[in-house]
Amino acid sequence: MIWEVFRQEAPGDYHEHVGNVHAPDREMAKLFARIQHARRMQTNSLWVTPREEIGEVSAEDAAFDGRTDKSYRWAMTYNEIDASFAEEVADSESEQREAARKRREALRDEGNEA
Amino acid sequence: MSGTPNSERIGRADLSAEQQVALEALLFRLADDEFVHAERLTEWQIYAPTLESDLAIANIAQDEFGHARLWYDLLKRLGYTEPECLWERDPTEWTHSLLVERPFGDGDWADAVLRGYLYDVAERIRLEAVADTSYAPLADRVGKVLEEENYHREHAVNWLERLTADDDGRGRVQDALDELFPYALSLFHPGPREEDIVEFGFRTEPVAEMRTQWLETVSPFLESLDLTVPEPDEVERPDERGRDGTHTDAWTELYDEFTATYHELEFETPATLRATEE
Repeated sequence: MIWEVFRQEAPGDYHEHVGNVHAPDREMAKLFARIQHARRMQTNSLWVTPREEIGEVSAEDAAFDGRTDKSYRWAMTYNEIDASFAEEVADSESEQREAARKRREALRDEGNEA
Repeated sequence: MSGTPNSERIGRADLSAEQQVALEALLFRLADDEFVHAERLTEWQIYAPTLESDLAIANIAQDEFGHARLWYDLLKRLGYTEPECLWERDPTEWTHSLLVERPFGDGDWADAVLRGYLYDVAERIRLEAVADTSYAPLADRVGKVLEEENYHREHAVNWLERLTADDDGRGRVQDALDELFPYALSLFHPGPREEDIVEFGFRTEPVAEMRTQWLETVSPFLESLDLTVPEPDEVERPDERGRDGTHTDAWTELYDEFTATYHELEFETPATLRATEE
């Protein structure tokens, strides 16, 4: 049985997927995960979960909102303001710009193939 | 860990000749047990049942080598060199218990797991018995080792619970128990200088007391897994004692094996267990 292992480095951090272990049950999975994924790394907490308990969304399903231009949803009113006073606003804008760029490229590639 | 401040303990410079001899006997037993146990466990590398259990057992072996290093290091500070502690020491001067030198049967994982359990419980009892030692440099090192031994015991207990979950597995563990039990009792053979070790306070419990504690821990646990624990006073004891330097033939083979490279390469200065000398 395969158990996926998630490691949290410090309190408050997200648990990040770091790999998996073969183990017959949860106790053994934790025991093995400690050796393989905690011992040599800064670790605040480890999660183990059976692989079959993980729900997956495929690339196709994840792209459901990627077909049309979403720029009308941007917080445009802030664009005239220097966003550097709020890092998260600047980050969010550049993230959205990046996402929009990728969407455009994907659509263009599809167009080329067609 | 203990209430005694280090200023009230014995330092290296305070040791009388008699005290030093007793202390060395105690340290060699601690170190030799860890070293030989680790040496045997490494035989499982690449042969353990799964990749994960392979990594776990190799990791435990590394811990035990690390503990051996701590104890040999205390001996080095008393004037021994590493070759005198390990590579050039006569095999009849080693004072580890017989349990740790026994060879593994081919693929006998039940033996490895059970041996680890019997050893780790004894190890915890022994470390607790030296936690309040009168020798300051030893007291400093016990706490860390105890923490690591917890993982070893957890590992062994988890495996034993699972191996004994069906008749086939339980039969294998029972065979290992019948085989190893007489040798495990040698963990508590007093050996030379036992009275001095206790009298000078290097260890605060006599081995007879530790043996009782060990039996009171392992017997109920093993019986809870539907195993039959041999009657300690009725088992046929091997002629060898371990603690007095007498060992089974398996030890000679193991000793030749792990010292072979040292002799072949004829190092002027052998690789040390410590990266840097203090």
